[in-house]
Amino acid sequence: MGLTLNHFLILGAILFCIGLYGAISKRNAIAVLMGIEIMLNAVNVTMIGFSFFNHVKPYSTYLTGQIFAIFIITVAAAEAAVALAMIIAIYRKRETVDVGEIDIMKW
Amino acid sequence: MDLATLIFWIIAVILVGSALMVVGLRNIVHSAVALILLFAMAAGIYVLLDAEFIAIVQILIYAGAVTILILFALMLTRITGQQSRTNPTNKQWWIALVICTLLGVSIIYAATTSPHAVATVGSDSGQLPAGINNVVRIGQLLYSPTQYSFVLPFEIASLVLLVAIIGAIVIGRED
Amino acid sequence: MVIAMALYQYAWAVLLAPLLSFVVIVFGTRVWDLLSRPHIAATTTHAEEHAVEAHGSEGEDYGEHGEDDDDDPKVPRLSAGAIASGYVAIGIMALACIYSWIMLLTSVFNRQSLPAGGIDVLHYDWFVQPAGVASYSIIFHLDTLALAMMVVVTTVSLLVYFYSQGYMEDSAGYARFFAYLTLFTFSMLVIVFAENFLVIFVGWELVGLSSYLLIGFWINKRAKPAELRPSPSSAALQAFVANRVGDVGFIIGIMILFANTGTFSFAQLSTAVTHIDKNLLTVAMILVFCGAIGKSAQVPLHVWLPSAMEGPTPVSALIHAATMVAAGVYMIARTFPLYVAAGPAAFGTVAWVGAITALFAATVALVQSDFKRVLAYSTISQLGYMFVGLGVAGSEYGPGLGMFHLFTHAFFKALLFLGAGSVLHSLHHATHREVQDMRLMGGLGPKMPITAITWLIATLSISGFPFFAGFFSKDTIINLTAERGDWGLYIITLGTAGLTAFYMLRAYILAFGGKGGSFGGLWGGPYRGEGQPHESPITITLPLILLAIPSVIAGYWFGFFDYIQPGAPVLNLSTILSDAKTWIGVVVALAGLAVAYTLYCRVDAAKLHAFVQNNALLRATHNFLYHAYYINELYDLLIRYVVLGISHIEQAFDTYVVDGIVNGVARLALLLGRDGRYVETGRVQSYMIGFFGGVAVLAVLVFALVTFGVGK
Repeated sequence: MGLTLNHFLILGAILFCIGLYGAISKRNAIAVLMGIEIMLNAVNVTMIGFSFFNHVKPYSTYLTGQIFAIFIITVAAAEAAVALAMIIAIYRKRETVDVGEIDIMKW
Repeated sequence: MDLATLIFWIIAVILVGSALMVVGLRNIVHSAVALILLFAMAAGIYVLLDAEFIAIVQILIYAGAVTILILFALMLTRITGQQSRTNPTNKQWWIALVICTLLGVSIIYAATTSPHAVATVGSDSGQLPAGINNVVRIGQLLYSPTQYSFVLPFEIASLVLLVAIIGAIVIGRED
Repeated sequence: MVIAMALYQYAWAVLLAPLLSFVVIVFGTRVWDLLSRPHIAATTTHAEEHAVEAHGSEGEDYGEHGEDDDDDPKVPRLSAGAIASGYVAIGIMALACIYSWIMLLTSVFNRQSLPAGGIDVLHYDWFVQPAGVASYSIIFHLDTLALAMMVVVTTVSLLVYFYSQGYMEDSAGYARFFAYLTLFTFSMLVIVFAENFLVIFVGWELVGLSSYLLIGFWINKRAKPAELRPSPSSAALQAFVANRVGDVGFIIGIMILFANTGTFSFAQLSTAVTHIDKNLLTVAMILVFCGAIGKSAQVPLHVWLPSAMEGPTPVSALIHAATMVAAGVYMIARTFPLYVAAGPAAFGTVAWVGAITALFAATVALVQSDFKRVLAYSTISQLGYMFVGLGVAGSEYGPGLGMFHLFTHAFFKALLFLGAGSVLHSLHHATHREVQDMRLMGGLGPKMPITAITWLIATLSISGFPFFAGFFSKDTIINLTAERGDWGLYIITLGTAGLTAFYMLRAYILAFGGKGGSFGGLWGGPYRGEGQPHESPITITLPLILLAIPSVIAGYWFGFFDYIQPGAPVLNLSTILSDAKTWIGVVVALAGLAVAYTLYCRVDAAKLHAFVQNNALLRATHNFLYHAYYINELYDLLIRYVVLGISHIEQAFDTYVVDGIVNGVARLALLLGRDGRYVETGRVQSYMIGFFGGVAVLAVLVFALVTFGVGK
């Protein structure tokens, strides 16, 4: 069978859900961040998949999905930097990176 | 099955497997290494989809910078006395499992049964005009002042990066 | 004729006269009285005023009375305002009484002057709607029945007012007493003049109120449990509550009638009830009779009348002998056409309740030792006779039969009570204590001749001694029960007549006679009490003399039945005397008198007492009758365990269910708050679980709905 859009969409969905699982159920803050990175990559796969399968002129020449993916990568990198800086700052203060123990806003 | 499909399946399996390893391995450094594999395989997918520039960017930035960042952070935030289980799961992992399964099933169901604006079958994408490759085209789309371009988002993205740099410095300061 | 018509048009003046005197006393002379007491300024507080009134004037001792142990406060001298209150009441009531007598005599001698159905003398449309929908009007109506009753009420009221001047002369609250008396007379006249159930009910409750106020007049007096006597305030409450219990049936009966006919008016009802179901009408009329059971102290709601003797004796005379208790009889007489239209069960109930009450009360009165209690039970018994009279009359005789006995009874019973009051008053003066026990009296005949003679006349009248008033009214009833073939009623009423004669003469002998007096023990004898009693002043004895006259001659109004209901038979002296049943009645009455005479004039009192106490059966019977068949104790148990038991259950319901729900709602809110806050864990991941969990649920929901075709 030839490749269809559905292949990439399903791949993206699976990756997204795995990333979500990692983000929700991991105790280490950096593991949560890794889950988020997986989610972002899943979205990228989907975007570029849409871009490839777009045959409608003139929009197909705009490569919108790929541009979107560039920006996602950009922002994801920036976000990773800031997030890791925060994690290190928290580690310095509290000697832990366990997100389960950071619950000042609880009842 | 033709070559493209075969390559897709191989890459896809490794991709999903490495994602599961990221989430499932007990040692967080092992998870970080699995993450590198994941980024690389994602780049492979992009190549398959005629997005070479994006693939290179993915390798450069994700597999290069982001993973280094993560490894440095792991190094700086080690908890002494903890040897093997550095990547535990919390108590609600089974709820997360259920939610993710449901969500995944519904997304897949929606994606496969709803009509799409784009074609579902690929053909050689007459997307690029003759004589231009993907890099040139993306350059045109990002920087061109006169033709249709995404120059404004580009400028804003640079601003975002600036803010992120300053923010990271400020937050990560020792005082 | 025109003058005669105009005469009746102003009859509302009789109705409003006592109201006028009430207003004048309450806002005029009583205020004068309160202001004129020493040490009282007009700026005293309400509580201080009552304190002074209860304890008499400060700084003055009780004069020549010494220590009284009955707690009702005394004043050594009445103020001008108080005396004026008495005069206002008497003066206005005298005018009203004269007017009512004029109206009565005119209507008797000139039958056509008053139209057959009577006339409306006061009409106020309170709430009028088009025909077919309920309208409420206040209408006061005058006809022959109302005239007869009105004369009784005004006459007895006037004599009681006059009497109270002497009886209450040293009681604190003199002006208040007259205010209440006039209020009572007004209320009673509202009942008399009422043309529909609404007005009669208003009057009904007003007399209940007045009775409450008057019985409980001596507010500080204590109870005397040893003599089975409650405090006046408890007695007043008992009277009101017992009346209220009867009123439940009364109201339901009125409601049934109203619901089925749409009117309250007696005149309209008497034609409209022929159209409603007879059984329903019977039930309704029996319920209406329940009101009369309460008001007229029939079994089982009789318990308040002996307790009501705690009030001053003029009150007992006015209310509990002549008028208020007769309101029940009057009400049945008013609604007589409705009873005729109902099934025979209605009249049967009336007659049998009356008969059983008459017998019951007579048996209890046989052994009472309290002077006023004998009279109280006697009243209950005679009221029973009136209801028997109403029950057996049928449409042939009309309500006149029972009303005739009411008419004569009012006079001789008022006389009996006022005479008793005279005795008590003089004994109080002699011993400085309240003496009501007949065992401490005796031989008072020569000491109080007027009182004794008038009392004897009344005793003979109530016993049915030939040619006195009671003979005509009571024997007509007894004979009619035989004529109708009600042999059970006949035996009961005949036997009760004998018992009545017995206990009345017993009371007379115990008070005024005794073994060893003249006339074979009927006049004078040993006095078993202390002190030197003497005859009461003229203010007390004049009403006695005035009442003795109608106690004899009131029975000679032979046209009474025809007066009340045109077409009823007219009594004929020769017919009465030739009837064998009359002589049976006379023999029974004389036998009762003879037994009483023998037991109390010929036998030594101590030997009689010892004989009864030694025999176990007699002693048990004596106790049983003395405690009035222990009905009071039964009611006490009933109320304590059944009524209060139910209220405890309901209180538990209120506390646990109602309050439980209300408090439960509050507690639920508290719980939600206190336990719901645990959702805020402070951990981002649990929030994410909530977030994505919601997304997942929504997604599944939407896809399920879309797939199954609901809501495209």
